[in-house]
Amino acid sequence: MAAAETMVRMGELAVSRVPGHVLVSLGLGSCIGLALIDRKMGIAGLAHIVLPQSQGHAHENPRKFADLAVPEMLAELEQIGARRIRLEAVLVGGASMFAVSSAGLEVGQRNEAAVRELLLKERIPVVAAATGGSKGRTVRVDVARSAVTVREAGGKHTELLLGGGMMAVAA
Amino acid sequence: MSTQYTELQLDALRELANIGSGTASTALSGMLGRSVDISVPNAQALPFADAVDATGDAESEMTGIVLGIQGDMGGTVLLLIAPSDADAICRMLGLEPGDEYAVSALGEIGNIVGASYINALASMTGMELEPTPPATATDMLGSIVTSVLATAALTGDVALLLDSNLVVEGEDCSISFLLVPDQGGVDELLSRLGLS
Repeated sequence: MAAAETMVRMGELAVSRVPGHVLVSLGLGSCIGLALIDRKMGIAGLAHIVLPQSQGHAHENPRKFADLAVPEMLAELEQIGARRIRLEAVLVGGASMFAVSSAGLEVGQRNEAAVRELLLKERIPVVAAATGGSKGRTVRVDVARSAVTVREAGGKHTELLLGGGMMAVAA
Repeated sequence: MSTQYTELQLDALRELANIGSGTASTALSGMLGRSVDISVPNAQALPFADAVDATGDAESEMTGIVLGIQGDMGGTVLLLIAPSDADAICRMLGLEPGDEYAVSALGEIGNIVGASYINALASMTGMELEPTPPATATDMLGSIVTSVLATAALTGDVALLLDSNLVVEGEDCSISFLLVPDQGGVDELLSRLGLS
């Protein structure tokens, strides 16, 4: 892994066009790590989304909500030269960590559904995903290589989106 | 009062956590037949991302037992046990770590310890509080903690973490304890203490 890792923590997002930069979200549970990638320009962004809808809650940090984080990330990506029409999406996370529990913890599935709907509206294809299930995941986005890797607890890094145009869909 | 708490308020919450974990340690001690010490609890109001960092290395493996709180105050109690400590607890109970009884025994420990903590909070504050049945997961610490915090994220950006450690005497083994009240729950808690 490259040395320059930027941590994208709960409710944060980051975009980059710096070669060698790696955007990382460690230990995604019910949260979604949404990577948006413009291969041609070597630009990528990663958002660590916590909840599907803001439901009118105006907060200090709107980036934790899918409905506010996605437009924000699109704007930031375009600002550094990405083109919306070239963007590809990779989704990681959205697990149900605590299988037998209250309905309130099915946040993972609702997160994934909300993000997919927003992407559909923006006509951004989801080219790979590792979502659902009950395991936590770490995602790494290598900006210049347009590569996305995912790792589950105790597991190895798996290439979810290979750099250089090839794709692999897991889960 | 929305996101910031005064030192006085945090002190009061720390004291609540102290008494709650004291009660929980008695319950744990009874189950294990060993004495259990408690550490001085921490009360921190932190933005979510910092709150997650404060619990430790996000990728470290951890067993989490989560109990919801229903009633006058919404919230969540999370017990965190490192894998080697979970194994040690199972052996103290005469169980082979990793077998199915061990997993359910850990859930039951979490249930009793967590419920006694919640009951202590209830009796101190005069609130009606009911624990929901426990759920257990062994996974990356970050994925456990963020999933618990997510339930409190809708109405706030700051998590109130009340954590303390239960340390089993004579064994290098501890359980850490996190109480995450919902945003409205903290206000309710403070008003019952006369500190809102």
